Amino acid sequence: MTGLPTLRATAEAAGLTITASASWPETGADRAVPALAGFIESDFSPLLAEVAGRALSRREGPAHSQVTAVVMVTALGDVVTATRVAAAVDAGQRVSPLLFFQSVPNAVAGYLGARWRLTGPVVCVSGTRAALDVAALLIADADADEALLACVDLAVSGGTDRAAAILVTGPVTRNDGESHEL
Amino acid sequence: MTERPARRGSRPVVVTGAAVLSAYGRGTQALLSGALSGRPAFTPVERFDVSARRVSVAAAMPGHPDLRTELAGAVGDACDDAGLPLSARARTPLFLAVHGDPTIARVPEADRPGLSPEAFTAGIARQCGLDEQAIRCYMTACVAASTAVADAAAIIARGQADRIAVAGGYLVERDQFALFDAGRVLADDGQVRPFSTGRRGLLLGDGIGAVIIESRESARARRAPALARLAGWGRAGDAYHPCQPHPEGHGMARAVTAALQRAGITGTGLGYVNASGTGTGQSDRSEANALRLALGDAAATVPVSSTKSLHGHSLEGGGALELILTLLAARKGMLPVNAGYLGTDDSCRLNLVLDEPLAASPEFALTLNAAFGGANTALVVGLP
Repeated sequence: MTGLPTLRATAEAAGLTITASASWPETGADRAVPALAGFIESDFSPLLAEVAGRALSRREGPAHSQVTAVVMVTALGDVVTATRVAAAVDAGQRVSPLLFFQSVPNAVAGYLGARWRLTGPVVCVSGTRAALDVAALLIADADADEALLACVDLAVSGGTDRAAAILVTGPVTRNDGESHEL
Repeated sequence: MTERPARRGSRPVVVTGAAVLSAYGRGTQALLSGALSGRPAFTPVERFDVSARRVSVAAAMPGHPDLRTELAGAVGDACDDAGLPLSARARTPLFLAVHGDPTIARVPEADRPGLSPEAFTAGIARQCGLDEQAIRCYMTACVAASTAVADAAAIIARGQADRIAVAGGYLVERDQFALFDAGRVLADDGQVRPFSTGRRGLLLGDGIGAVIIESRESARARRAPALARLAGWGRAGDAYHPCQPHPEGHGMARAVTAALQRAGITGTGLGYVNASGTGTGQSDRSEANALRLALGDAAATVPVSSTKSLHGHSLEGGGALELILTLLAARKGMLPVNAGYLGTDDSCRLNLVLDEPLAASPEFALTLNAAFGGANTALVVGLP
């Protein structure tokens, strides 16, 4: 499981500046993940949309001129959707067309992109360190001004779904006032 | 369109080894000769039961190949092709593009944490003698492999690594087949017809590709010949819809523009485009618009084909398979056809390679991929 502290620490170690963050659950009120139209049966995409939306809504300053990359992180992917599909196939049952659209982790990035005008690259990787390295590279090479990192891990064996998101920018401005490429 | 130019590190990047598996068989020669035959590789699916599906055709090789085994085999073959000694392999990271461990959906819940994509990638790295401490697993669906290639190239260009092995793979299996069938995106006439009138969708295909990406100076230092230059790369999002491309192709156009900028060329410098061209209505129209936006007048003249019309759509592996076929075709001086063509769709007017392969030796060729979520990638390969 990758929580917000790990995500923050990895981002800072990579030399990135965190401009906003969010997590799930944040308070006792975070019990049922808000539904997301078009996504069914699994909390994976709705949870990713929820934490990403929280982080984006906490961003300070104008965002309209920014190119924002979306970098998704997940240890196992959407295993709920995967197991539902496998069960339906094995039982000879019809598979819902909606599961087709949500069967890949990046589909929800299209929702986020449209909602928040995120026009940068869309990437999904399985490790936090890799995700931060991807974000740093995209910013350094001017593919994006900032990156939204959103991490989702669905509950295993009755635990709690966990998610975290941060917005990061670079390059780091040091105390000497000069900008240094990452 | 992007307002500031894409940057890149200063080091030239080359491909020094490649290996593939497709429905045409194992190996680059099987893929190239199959593609240049112009005969699509689609046949009735025998690997699993498709009796309840709308569509029962795919480009699958005979039998039940295992994804882990075939990926490890391809990575090993690519290392051999690049002439990498064991000592160099041990210092080479692996970037792998897959949907995940294919067994995870059918094991007890308690066993799933051990079947992470990272563990799957580490296992293949270990099996191939690569640096398993420096792995990455990309899961961005149909742009997973091309994104991994772009990242590897960017890292090497910046001098952050000398060499990276990149592989991607998908083998036609029952779950994704059922999902694509349920989504009604499979071509029910059994042919993929990119950019054509009467196109009815995509068909899945086996596809595994592995490449060794290296700095030119690293390749020269060990006297390894380059198969091709990886001259440019770009990726951008549509910001439009979870599963529909931007109608005007804005994201893809920005990805192409960035790739051309990094290659230091304009649209007129391209001699071939291996389009994403899935054969679906909206996607092909969007891509044709993107090419017109990014290439300008050159979009009407540059030869274009989508080799998915021959080997099918290999999802996470497609970007690697299509990159390799693009560089093989450029080196051979023969461009594959855009198969299945029935006639002109006015919304997709491009200079398609039709009827027979086109004899041409492009100095630069572009290969494109797009995925759900509005993810787009563009890679420019150049002859060495």
